[in-house]
Amino acid sequence: MLQLIADGLVVGSTVSLGAIGLTLTYSLLRFANFGHGELLTTGAYAALAVVTAITAWGVDAPPIGPFSFGWPLLVALPVAAGATALVALAIDALLFARLRARGSAIVLIIASFGAALALRNLLLFVFGPLPEYYSREIQIAVALVPRGVMGGMRVTPDQMVVLGLALAAMVALHVFLTRTVLGKAMRATAMNPDLARITGIDTAAVIRATWILGAALAALAGVFAGLTGQVRTTLGFELLLPMFAAAILGGVGSIHGAALGGLVVGLAESLLTPVLGAEYRAASAFLAIIAILLVRPAGLFGRVAR
Amino acid sequence: MTDLAGLASYAAFFLAFAGIFAVIVLGLNLHWGFTGLFNVGVAGFVAIGAYVSAILTTPDHPGQLGGFALPVVVGWLGAAAAAGLAGLIVGAATLRLRHDYLAIATFGIAIVIQLVALNAQWLTGGPFGLHFVPKPFEASLGAGLPFNAAYLALVVGVVLLVHAGLERLVRSPWGRVLRAIREDEVAAESLGKRIFAFRLQAFVIGSAIMGLGGALYAHFIGYIAPEDFLPILTFQLWTMLIVGGAGNNRGAILGAVVVWAVWAISGGALRAIMPPDAQTRGAALQVVLIGILLAAMLILRPRGLLGEETAISRHAAAREPEG
Amino acid sequence: MTAALAVHDLVAGYEPGLPIVRGAGFAVEAGEILAVLGPNGAGKSTLGKAVAGIVPVASGSVRLAGREIVGDPAHRMARLGLGFVPQTDNVFAELPVEDNLDLAAAVAGAPRARRIAEMFALFPDLGRQRRLDAGRLSGGQRQMLAVARALVAAPRVLILDEPSAGLSPKLAQLVFDKLAEIARAGVAIVLVEQNVRAALALAGRAIVLVEGRVRLSGAAAALAADPRLGDAFVGRGEAA
Repeated sequence: MLQLIADGLVVGSTVSLGAIGLTLTYSLLRFANFGHGELLTTGAYAALAVVTAITAWGVDAPPIGPFSFGWPLLVALPVAAGATALVALAIDALLFARLRARGSAIVLIIASFGAALALRNLLLFVFGPLPEYYSREIQIAVALVPRGVMGGMRVTPDQMVVLGLALAAMVALHVFLTRTVLGKAMRATAMNPDLARITGIDTAAVIRATWILGAALAALAGVFAGLTGQVRTTLGFELLLPMFAAAILGGVGSIHGAALGGLVVGLAESLLTPVLGAEYRAASAFLAIIAILLVRPAGLFGRVAR
Repeated sequence: MTDLAGLASYAAFFLAFAGIFAVIVLGLNLHWGFTGLFNVGVAGFVAIGAYVSAILTTPDHPGQLGGFALPVVVGWLGAAAAAGLAGLIVGAATLRLRHDYLAIATFGIAIVIQLVALNAQWLTGGPFGLHFVPKPFEASLGAGLPFNAAYLALVVGVVLLVHAGLERLVRSPWGRVLRAIREDEVAAESLGKRIFAFRLQAFVIGSAIMGLGGALYAHFIGYIAPEDFLPILTFQLWTMLIVGGAGNNRGAILGAVVVWAVWAISGGALRAIMPPDAQTRGAALQVVLIGILLAAMLILRPRGLLGEETAISRHAAAREPEG
Repeated sequence: MTAALAVHDLVAGYEPGLPIVRGAGFAVEAGEILAVLGPNGAGKSTLGKAVAGIVPVASGSVRLAGREIVGDPAHRMARLGLGFVPQTDNVFAELPVEDNLDLAAAVAGAPRARRIAEMFALFPDLGRQRRLDAGRLSGGQRQMLAVARALVAAPRVLILDEPSAGLSPKLAQLVFDKLAEIARAGVAIVLVEQNVRAALALAGRAIVLVEGRVRLSGAAAALAADPRLGDAFVGRGEAA
C-alpha cells in the first residue's frame, strides 16, 4: 500500500510537470495540444544526446553519491529544456501560428496530432527503436518504511531526486506566475487576451514565453520519466492520456489544478494497478477522465466554465 | 504474362485497400465533415468492427474464442452494430461537452481498445491476434488475383452503397440540421436536447460505418492483430479526409485513394533506398512524410482537393446564369 | 499645437467590406473631454475600439500626439500613451486589485509603486481592497479599477466605452466626477456614452455619430440646446 503510494507520487510528479505545460498552452492558445507528449520525448532524447556526447568525449563522470547519474545529466537538463523550447517554438511558427491566424481552434488539434506523429517518428528515425538509459549503474532502493508496516516502502535515490526536483520546479513556477511581471502577464493573457493587449502586453511575446516555459517543463518531465524508466520514443505519448486527465481534473487552464491533478492521477494509476492489472494501467487515466467529465466537467479544482 | 497477372493482382489488392479506407473515411466524414464532431479514436471503432466480425464468422480453432462460423454478412452487420453501440456509449458520455473533451475521450477509448486487444487473450488472441478469418470467395475462386479482384468488386459495392446512403442522409432535412449545428454551435445550443440527439445519431451512424470498414479489412487479410489498429491508423484516415476535402463524400473517397497511394509509393521507395538494417527507421520516415503532407494541406489548401459542397454554393451556382 | 488625439476619415469594422465606422473623425486636446454620442448601432463603440487597435481599420488616420498609429499593434498603442477602458470584461478577474494595476504600470514602464499609490489616492475604495481578486469587486468598484488600470500607465489619451453602463445613476455620477478630475490633470478623454444628458454635462465638446459618420459636432452646451440632437437619434427610429 505504502509502496503503491510512493510509486504513484513519483510517476505523478512527472505527470504534473507535463500537465502544467499542457494546461499553460491550452489556456493561452485555446486548444488541446496532442503533440505535448512528444515534447517530453524530445527533452528525454536531447538529454540523452548530451550525456552520450559527454561520455563519448572520454570524460570520466562517475555517479554522484547514491544516484545512478553523474554531472553530465545535470548539464544535460538545461540543454534539453532549451532544445525542446526551440522545437516547440519552431512548430508554433511553422504550423500553429499560421492556423491560429485563420482562427479555427479545432483544426489546431488535428494539426497537433499530425505534428506529434511526425515528431515521434523523426525521433525514431534518428535514435532508432531500441530503448536507452541515461546510466547503466545499478541503484539500491532505500527502505524508508520497514516491510512490517503496511507492506513497507522502498524508494531509489533517483526517485527521490525526481520527486524533489519536480516539487521544487512547481514551487518555482508558482513564484514566477504570482510574483513576476512576465508571469502575471501570462496569466492575464490567458484570462483575457484582448484586455491584455489593450493593457500594453505584447501577447505574441507572451505566447512565445509560454511555449518556452511549457516545453522546458515538458523536457524536465521527459528526463525524469527516462531516468525512472526507459528513454524510448513512446515515452511522452504514453504519458499524454495521464497528462490530459490531470489537466481536466485540475480544471483546464488552472496551473495549480494541473499540478495537483498530476499527483492524483499518478496515485490513482498506481492504486488501481492491483485492481485492473498492470497490463491495463494505461486505462486508469482514461477511466479517470470519463468519471470527471461525467461528474464534474469543470474539474475538481476548477471553476465552472464560463 | 505472370508479371501482368501479378501486377493486376497487386492493383486489385491496392484498390481494395483504398476502398476499405474509403468506407472508414466516409464514416469519419459524417462525424467531422458534416457534424463537426472531433473523433481522434477512429482506429478503436475500426478495431471493434474487425474483431467482432472475426469472432462471429471464424470456424472453430483451438485456443481461439468463437467458432460460430456465421455467414460473413452476419459478421459485417454485427461489426457495424458493435461499433455503433460503442459510439452510442462514448457519444452519450461526451457529446454534450466541448469539442476538445470529445477529442481527448475518443483518444482514450482507442487506447483502451488497443489495451483490450493486446491483453484480453481469451477474447482477442492477445498479441498474436485472430487467425483464419474467412475470406469470402477464396475457396471457390482461388487465392491471388481472383480473390483480390472479387473482393475489390465487393468493396467497391460497399463503397457505392455507403456513399449513396450518406448522400441521401446529408441532403435530407436531417443532414441540413447537422450542418446547421456544425456552423453555429452557439445558436445550436439554444435548441438544447434535440441537438444532442442529432449529434448522437450522427456519431453512432459514423461509428457503425467505421466498424463495417474494420470488418472489410479483417476478411480481406484473413488475420488481425492489435498492431493493425494503432493511432497511426487514425492519423492516416484523418489525413485522407483532410486531403480529399472534409464535408464532401466524393472527396473522402478521393482522399483515401490519393493518400493510400502516397503511403504505398513512399513506403516502397524508402524500402528500396534504406539498407536492410535500417528498415524500421525508413518506416518512421514514411510517417513523418504523411505528417508533413497533412500539415501542408491544412496550411495551403485547408478545404482539401475537392472542397466542401455546400447547399449555399449549389444555390449560388444555380443562380449565376440568371445574373 | 498638435492635438493629443486626432482621428481623420476613419473606416473600420469587424468584417472586411462591412464597415461600421464609415469615415468618422474628431480631435481632442490635453485636458479636454470629448463625448461621442449617437443612437444604438451608430458605431460609437466600434469607433473607440478601432482607435484603440482592437477592431481592424480599413482606412483613415489616427494620430496620437502627432504620430500616426494606425497599423500599430494594440499593445504598442497602449505603450505610446493610449488608454482604453472596454465596456465589459475590463479587469483581470482572477488577479488581485493590486496586480491589475501593477501589471499595467510595469508593461508601460511607469514608476510602479508611485503610480499605484496615486491610483489608490484617487480611488480610495480600491486601496482598501488591494488584495481582493478583481472579479469579486462590486460593479462600481470594478469600473473604478478598469479606469485605474488604464490610468496607471499615465496615458496621454483615455478612451472609455460607456463607463456608466450598468451602474446606478449615483455610481455613474461618481465615475463621471473622477473623469473630470482626471481631465483636470491634463489627460485627454474620449467618452463614448449612451447617457446623453450626463455626458453633455461633463464634456466640453461632443460629436454625434449616425450610421458611422459624424452628423453633429460642437460645444457640449450648444449641442445640448440644439434641436437637431434629438433628430439625430430619432432619425434612426430610436429614442435617446
